Amino acid sequence: MGANENSSAKPRVRPIVRLGIFLISHSNIVSLVCFLAGVVALLLLPVLAKNTYISENALMPGSANNMLSTHHVSDANKFIKDLTDLELRSMASPIESQKLIAQYMSALDAEVTFHKFYPQFSQFHPLHFFTSPDSGIISKNGTCSSFGVNTVGIIRAPRGDGKEAIVLVTPYNPNKVGLGEAVSLGIAYSVFSLLSHATWLAKDIIWFVADSQYGEYSAVASWLREYQAPVFHKVDIVTSETCNESSTFDELGQGLYLDGKLNGDFRRAGTMAAALVIKVAEQGNQYEDSLNIYAEASNGQMPNLDLINIVNYLAVHKQGLRIKVKKMWSLLDSWWLNTVGIIFESLGKIARSLNPQWKFGIPASEYVEGAATLASSLYYQGLGVPTGPHGAFRDYQVDAITLEISPKVSLTKVIRRNEFILRGGRLIEGVIRSINNLLEKFHQSFFLYLLTSPGKFVSVGVYMIPFALLVAPLPIVAAYLHSNASSSTPQNPSTLGVDANHKSWKWLNSARKVLIFHLWGVVVSLLPFFLCQLPNTTPTMNFILWGFASAFSLLILFFISGCPIFEAAASQPEKNRWTSLKSVTISTTFIGLSLMSVINFATAEIGALLIVPICLLARPLKLDIQAKSWRTLLRASCNIALGFVLFPPVAFVLLKGAFEDFYGINVGDYWNWVESLWAWNSATYLYVGVVHLPSWALCIHILFHPC
Amino acid sequence: MTKKKKVPLFWTWVLGSVVLRLILLYFPKNLNLSSRPEVSTPLTSLRRLAEGYWLKQSSISPYAGSMYHGSPLLLTLLGPLTVTRIEGQPDHLLCSLVFVIADVVSAMLICAVGEKLQVAYSSSLQLLGLRDLSENSELLPSGDFAALVYLWNPFTIVACVGLSTSAIENLMVVLSLYGACSRLAPLAAFGWVMATHLSLYPAILIIPVILLLGYGPDAPPRKLFRQRNSLEAGNSTVSDVYSEEKAKNQLKVANVFSWRPVVSFLFWTLLWSSYILVLCSMYVQQYGGLQELFKRTYGFILTIQDLSPNIGVLWYFFAEVFDFFRNFFLIVFHGNVLLMLAPLALRLNHRPCFLAFVYIVISSMLKSYPSVGDSALYLGLLGLFAYELKDMQFSFFLLSGYVGVSLLSPVMHNLWIWRGTGNANFYFATAIAYACFQIILVVESVSAMLNHDRTLTKLCTAMVQNVKS
Repeated sequence: MGANENSSAKPRVRPIVRLGIFLISHSNIVSLVCFLAGVVALLLLPVLAKNTYISENALMPGSANNMLSTHHVSDANKFIKDLTDLELRSMASPIESQKLIAQYMSALDAEVTFHKFYPQFSQFHPLHFFTSPDSGIISKNGTCSSFGVNTVGIIRAPRGDGKEAIVLVTPYNPNKVGLGEAVSLGIAYSVFSLLSHATWLAKDIIWFVADSQYGEYSAVASWLREYQAPVFHKVDIVTSETCNESSTFDELGQGLYLDGKLNGDFRRAGTMAAALVIKVAEQGNQYEDSLNIYAEASNGQMPNLDLINIVNYLAVHKQGLRIKVKKMWSLLDSWWLNTVGIIFESLGKIARSLNPQWKFGIPASEYVEGAATLASSLYYQGLGVPTGPHGAFRDYQVDAITLEISPKVSLTKVIRRNEFILRGGRLIEGVIRSINNLLEKFHQSFFLYLLTSPGKFVSVGVYMIPFALLVAPLPIVAAYLHSNASSSTPQNPSTLGVDANHKSWKWLNSARKVLIFHLWGVVVSLLPFFLCQLPNTTPTMNFILWGFASAFSLLILFFISGCPIFEAAASQPEKNRWTSLKSVTISTTFIGLSLMSVINFATAEIGALLIVPICLLARPLKLDIQAKSWRTLLRASCNIALGFVLFPPVAFVLLKGAFEDFYGINVGDYWNWVESLWAWNSATYLYVGVVHLPSWALCIHILFHPC
Repeated sequence: MTKKKKVPLFWTWVLGSVVLRLILLYFPKNLNLSSRPEVSTPLTSLRRLAEGYWLKQSSISPYAGSMYHGSPLLLTLLGPLTVTRIEGQPDHLLCSLVFVIADVVSAMLICAVGEKLQVAYSSSLQLLGLRDLSENSELLPSGDFAALVYLWNPFTIVACVGLSTSAIENLMVVLSLYGACSRLAPLAAFGWVMATHLSLYPAILIIPVILLLGYGPDAPPRKLFRQRNSLEAGNSTVSDVYSEEKAKNQLKVANVFSWRPVVSFLFWTLLWSSYILVLCSMYVQQYGGLQELFKRTYGFILTIQDLSPNIGVLWYFFAEVFDFFRNFFLIVFHGNVLLMLAPLALRLNHRPCFLAFVYIVISSMLKSYPSVGDSALYLGLLGLFAYELKDMQFSFFLLSGYVGVSLLSPVMHNLWIWRGTGNANFYFATAIAYACFQIILVVESVSAMLNHDRTLTKLCTAMVQNVKS
């Protein structure tokens, strides 16, 4: 009778359910295959990278002839000379140079304003991670004595309606104008002087000279905050009542007020279509003029790929600049990456010999270069810290990049400098002309991508595959363990339905424990907020305090919840409690990783590489040692090694050692690193605190589970 | 004994939840919950209510400008509180205190409903002769459990701290269920009329409320009682004649639909609704009268005019649909809610409270402007059936899904609105996932309940056969 029932019930199972059951029952093999495939797919990314192309037709880069002539360059040279002369006169106050810039701007019929700001010092705001940028963050700690003055020049477009603008940013330090900064100002000036007479201009041009004495980013960010989200009363009161020494600021404009061109109030020019930050490196590149592109904004956000494409296209094809993006230099010489490159190359050759249509495989050297660039792209996106002042724009959905132009030889020679300014200026002019053609905001090309070289990228559709493969085992194993744990309850047919053990709710106990660990993670992430308030502490001391406070808070949480940290000798029906605990752990890790992949893909990818193996392998050491076969012992030792390596500070030190060197590392470095993360509101900090740390702690808890 | 031990623990947890709410109330700027689309819909947002009150104070119709769409009674109750500020305190402190009180009262009512249900259920099990089961069902105090689930549910906390008026709507729904469970027809009628007046969808709860008043609280299927009855009649060797008579009477009572409370409920409904209509018409007399009121509140709910994103699925659909199909699809979607009423009522008529739970889940899924406050209510009510649903499948999967979706939804919203790298589809995807989890929840809970009934039937028939042989 029973057999009959079974045979009649079996064919009714739908194929998709059967597939699911198959996957779950073979979870060991499936997870191993998926994980390895994920790693291989990650290594394959440089091979799968596509060439960039300009997606928005309206941009038409390079279609018009350059109008920037030597005449503009000589003007710029005069400007640079005046600036550097001012620097040489040691008596001149920093205000003088700003005055000079403003004079030059107003001579070009631009509207000039000064923007005074109080720099904001990094502070830990635990609740500011996901709030919108205009939620009214007002600096309370900005002292009156330290303020910066940005100079802003605006050219109104003859053909525009004043509703759109393009921003040029040149950061410089008025206290100490270096030659590089002066040349970058000169390039911007040459373009600005050209644009002031350009008839084709459809968008207003804002030249923003950022006062970088308190950091480039904070100057740009404070101006943008004022531009996009004005605060109407509170700041005014602060400035007028408490700061009486703004006389220097008033004195600034006196010469210009008479001309009627300086505007006392804050000036705006429409929504920003794009922003370019121009920098010039003083140290020359030995071989040729080159251009470094920095694009990463906060939390791994990138500007639209089209912006990079235009710059890349114009720099390479029009100006003959060598274009570069950041690379992990230490990876270039690593033997294993070279080996992988050679393997892929030979695989590509085999594939081509089978079918010439298969264009698979790239030369090993190119592969290594691509991998090093990809690694740095992943690293900087994952860190979530912007790589330059362009990061501030992305918070307001403005696409921006930093262009760092480095000359072949030193810029002290005037002739060499002229040529350099002409090249740089023409590049900027071409880019601005392209953006000027834009009808809507950048939307056509990708926002989510990783660069493997300036001309090659991996789009979201491709780079999601390795991540999906990495995390795919997690739900499968969780389901396997969960079904194991719930089916292992002894069932007596006599007490049908009278089973007081709530069979399907047994996991609630484990869920409670997991919840406690994650709450602990939240507490640990909030602790630095209080530690910051302590005066006169060194990073090392802070770190040690943090460690103690964390351990203490874990104990307190367990005490409050009334949940024993380690169950005493487990009774028979609870023998499999660790499986249910592991299943809940794995599923929360899965949720955390998936969430993080939406917030910041690169962090999730790196995090998955680290945390997934131990989540899959974790098994009580006691069981493994009792079994005493070489497999279990191997697994136990793997678990111990992984458990040690994955403790966040240890992982940090190891990674730092791998990519830099171990020399001079102390525990305080971890504190400093973490401090930089929260100062930039990086979601990676939350990931480490709320997902990685609790998952790791739970895995360790499972390892030492008494079963 | 165990009960007395548990009581202080229960109250500590209740107090804890209140303290947590009060702490969170002091970070309104940082949490910014009241502007989240998940929390405040056009119907429940307190900001809109304050706007409506402001308009009313300036002698303009509170419904002018499509800002406020709630009830005038809510306006008179909460309106004055929105403008009173206490120096140095958060802006809407008094309103939030009202919501906190509403939450606690709802929890207490859920607790009381749970106790009533449990007593009734275990006695009816005893009548059937299933003593083991009835003892088992008393092990877990499902009322306390459900109340704590309601109070500590993050959805409830978020809705309360996010200043959503759904706390008051939920209170009215629970009030009507409590009134029906304890057979207080006036109270049940008041709760039902108020809930319907505030958010329209609870109107469908009239079926479970009538069933509750007619048949009494949840019980095993009625045919089991009939079976048992016939068995008792045939088997007259039981010694204690008096108790047997009593049991027989009770068994009969369980099967009879008593009309008196139902009639009284209908009478009171009429009374209360006319009372509320008179009050409303007095309030909006100068601004177009009741017709305008209905157009601006129920009309707004039924025609889905506001297509700003929320956690439901209708906004996306009606943003896409062509204008000339709009009316058709409006009828289809609202008909969808009504279509399921009758079959469910027929299948679950012996468990009116559970029926109410199912109705609430369905309506909060197909609502025009759903918010997490609605989910808070049905998740709290789910706790009432902890004993019957102990064999529910996919419980862990559902919890993970709810956690995942409720975290993913704000992130997707951020990606769409603030970062500009995502689009509406990203957010809508989480809304679909959320709807799917709700469907799974309702399907699994109903099937678990039906399975529970099946096991009861099996046990009963086994007993009957034992007695006969």
